Amino acid sequence: MSTLKVLIADDHDIVRKGLRTLLEEHPGWEVCGEARSGREAVEQAVQLNPDVTVIDVSMPDLNGLEATRQIRKACPKTEILIITHHDSDEMAGEVLDAGARGYVLKSDSDKDLVHAVEALSHHKPFFTSRVTEIFLANRGRRITDPAESMRSRLTMREREILQLLAEGKTAKEVASVLGIAVKTSDTHRTNIMRKLNVHSVAELVRYAIRNKVVEP
Amino acid sequence: MLADPAAPTRVMLSDDHPFVRRGLRTILESTSQYEVCGEAGDGNQTLELAKRLRPDILITDISMSPPNGLEVTARLRQSLPQTKILIITMHDSEEMLQAAAAAGASGYLLKSDAEELLMIALQCLEAGHHFVSPAFNPEFTNRLFE
Repeated sequence: MSTLKVLIADDHDIVRKGLRTLLEEHPGWEVCGEARSGREAVEQAVQLNPDVTVIDVSMPDLNGLEATRQIRKACPKTEILIITHHDSDEMAGEVLDAGARGYVLKSDSDKDLVHAVEALSHHKPFFTSRVTEIFLANRGRRITDPAESMRSRLTMREREILQLLAEGKTAKEVASVLGIAVKTSDTHRTNIMRKLNVHSVAELVRYAIRNKVVEP
Repeated sequence: MLADPAAPTRVMLSDDHPFVRRGLRTILESTSQYEVCGEAGDGNQTLELAKRLRPDILITDISMSPPNGLEVTARLRQSLPQTKILIITMHDSEEMLQAAAAAGASGYLLKSDAEELLMIALQCLEAGHHFVSPAFNPEFTNRLFE
């Protein structure tokens, strides 16, 4: 039996420690890397090519949903399991939109985590019954959500920059984090504000918090 | 009955996230100094289990299904005065720290410091001192625990 390589991404050491212990108790599973931010998760996923990546939604720099999108794009064979403490209807939908095929709440049990990784290792989706209920209750309802249609108008790059701006970075700092020109970063900011119809950075931050791009 | 000086300190864990409990347990069990005597996932369970187990130290989160960690702390302060309470939380505001001190916690450890400073925090509590994560202003914390 070949080893299952799992990458874990969470900004809290203590959670990563717990996840690592839980996963490594399982014969044949190996935690091949740990990341503390979404950006580190993408870098490590590209480098290590894990079978499964377990990723927290709320992380600095690049949140788990955006990291999921980038990992899915760069390493399509890697399955993604999202772990979050957000037990909300919107979150369940966003997790799927981002390309994750598993979703476990931080309050779910150790067993749920193990079952989720097991399912994903066979490229099968995994959702706890609680999450399945949310999906069924929302069938057909989400398309009309105005916040969502607004969000889908932003490109992946723009969502990434939205988070950095909402975390308090200037256009110049954003440019340096992403390795792009300051002018390009400025243009992105202008486009984001136009698309979201906001006119100040304060409004931008409010939008980002309300839509859980960043934590308050 | 006299306590056996070689016996490990009995620690109970309370957090609604099993992965966090597992992380804490892993750290504690890496030494023979501590023994995890029980785990609880919400406030009521914590109260019941703590009364039954009478741990030396309770490590508890604040955000849990009610009663939250601060209420649990205040109640156990009354019923189990021997049990020392270490709060472990992501709330880094001075208001929350103040509320924890007022409820009767002996220590306040931020989750982001947990892996690095858990052992030190526990040693402080066992020695009869207080412990607060270094992110807080020491003058402010000293006043709180005077």
